[in-house]
Amino acid sequence: MKNLNTLLAGIFLAVALPFGALVISSQVQLGSLGRAPAEDGGPLFPSREPGLAIQGRAVYVSLGCVSCHTQQVRPAGQGSDIARGYGTRPSVARDYSQQKQVLLGDRRIGPDLANFGARAKTLDAVHAAIQHNGQFAFLYAGAKNEVASERAVALAAYLQSLRQDYSSPEAKLKQ
Amino acid sequence: MTQENRSGRPQGRPPEGDSRLSRTEAQLRGPFLLFFISAVIWLLAASVLGVIATLQQGSLAGGPFRGCEILTYGHLAAAQHNLFVYGWGFNAFFALNLWLLSQLGRFELRNDWLASLGGAVWNVALTYGVIQIFAGNQTGFGLLEFPREVGPVLAVAFLLAGFWPIVAFARRPTGHTFASQWFVVGASFAFPLTYLLAQLLVLWQPASGVVQAIAHSWFISNLLLLWFGASALAAVYYFLPKVLGRTISGYYLAPVGFWTFFLFASWTGPSALIGAPVPLWLQSVGVVAGAMLMVPVIITAINFLGTLSSEGGWSRAWNDTTLRFVSFGAVAFTLFGVLNAVFGFRGYNAVVRFTSFAAGQEQLLTYAFATMVLFGAAYFVLPRLTGSLWPSAKLVHVHFWATALGAVVSSVALLVGGYESGKQLADASISFQQVAKAGSAWNLALNVSAVLLLVGHVAFALNAFGMILKSSAPASAGRHD
Repeated sequence: MKNLNTLLAGIFLAVALPFGALVISSQVQLGSLGRAPAEDGGPLFPSREPGLAIQGRAVYVSLGCVSCHTQQVRPAGQGSDIARGYGTRPSVARDYSQQKQVLLGDRRIGPDLANFGARAKTLDAVHAAIQHNGQFAFLYAGAKNEVASERAVALAAYLQSLRQDYSSPEAKLKQ
Repeated sequence: MTQENRSGRPQGRPPEGDSRLSRTEAQLRGPFLLFFISAVIWLLAASVLGVIATLQQGSLAGGPFRGCEILTYGHLAAAQHNLFVYGWGFNAFFALNLWLLSQLGRFELRNDWLASLGGAVWNVALTYGVIQIFAGNQTGFGLLEFPREVGPVLAVAFLLAGFWPIVAFARRPTGHTFASQWFVVGASFAFPLTYLLAQLLVLWQPASGVVQAIAHSWFISNLLLLWFGASALAAVYYFLPKVLGRTISGYYLAPVGFWTFFLFASWTGPSALIGAPVPLWLQSVGVVAGAMLMVPVIITAINFLGTLSSEGGWSRAWNDTTLRFVSFGAVAFTLFGVLNAVFGFRGYNAVVRFTSFAAGQEQLLTYAFATMVLFGAAYFVLPRLTGSLWPSAKLVHVHFWATALGAVVSSVALLVGGYESGKQLADASISFQQVAKAGSAWNLALNVSAVLLLVGHVAFALNAFGMILKSSAPASAGRHD
């Protein structure tokens, strides 16, 4: 305790070891995850993100949507996510492997969006949801906010791209 | 410290014969006041944003600023959070940590201009970052929201402004060390390391997929526990025995408390990811670390609450402005540690996950503990540095009651409100809208507490700025020998 070097070395280890064990080792474990078929020869999931959806994510981030919306479905034993219809299976790490930026979120002031694209039936429903009863009317023009701006179009494309309704090797959908 | 309350003045008054600035204090007066004044300004800004944010969040149909892009909740929440943490929390602890270790190590800050430069750069970068958040240029990772070019600037500013406590420790004349010194050295060293690694893996060279979220959770736990927690613990270790004039009970446990705190704190990050699509072993490590963190929490409880419980310590603490705040914080820290351990376990965590509960835990740690300790410290240090008394005893009372009440109401609203809505959310037959409606009473409580906190902070700012303005002590007053 009296020696600065010992103190600093101890603190360094106390910070660096968890970094290595938690962050680096999970990068080793998960870093190579990619698109994969649930069964041999099946289609590859998750799908690549459409370009417009990538632009839409930038809008999502810029507006701070992540402060109110999560994008993760917990397993059936933990919480009511699946019973609530947020997803048909728990989210797995592979679902996020194609995303440049992962926005899991940690607070649900609004509903979870991990499967919003699978839930929303029509494009109109997506735009209605984006408007939040007029709070986000600034993304729209026209007397009844019926003209979507470019940002709203991109955001809608992003929200529609959010879906985890496919089987993946780690989490198969029940038939 | 004199304990009598003469002429109704608040008590943060230096003892007779010691009223002149010591040489170490005279040297750090400039940077200290720069850090302190900017901290209070940011605190005021954060509390104003806090009031607006709770109003905006409270109603589903949109708050008073519906349809206004700049003031969407996503912008307000991020700006408020960052201003509170980097504006208030960091500036205030720059000031306090520097003062503490200069006092304990009899350190004379010769390069005070470097520290001031660091403070200036820090505040300019912060201002830029907050403007960028409002302009819609944020990253989406909590407390790393500033656009990524701000990160390296803040890191350099930290080295200039926040590294002096380590220098002070290295140059101390005696071999003897005290608990406060270990904690401050730890905080000042752990934060820049954490911040740089997190910046790298989250913003500059993003890790793949959910590893970003893992790195982010590690960053948040370090920021909250190893910066806010460790710095505030250092202050409690200093002010309790100093003002009470006695030794810490069970002080022999303090080294164990220090090492276990630093050993376990950094592993607790993944406990914020329970149920998330990250490996299960990782979540378990976080839960176990959160439970192990009870060891330092119990030790600090023995140290702090034990000291306060002997020989009428509580009543003496209540009658001293500094200790009233500091003891409030010490109790809050114990409470935080217990909640952190209990609600880490999967069963409980599944209930409160994604509700306001986590925000309540953070409020306990960063406000009810760290901020209240900082206030207490200000009542002790500022009169020494400015050589004058607090202008108004009434404002001190307003400050204590408004912030104490605000801290309690906001923590309870976030914690209990979060737990209640979590209970309802667990039942899938209750719709999300119904749960939100049922929680509106708690939202009202949050609005009230935000206003209370703002009132308290305005009272504190008026008092502190009035004192600094009328302070007559020139910077050279300490060079009397």
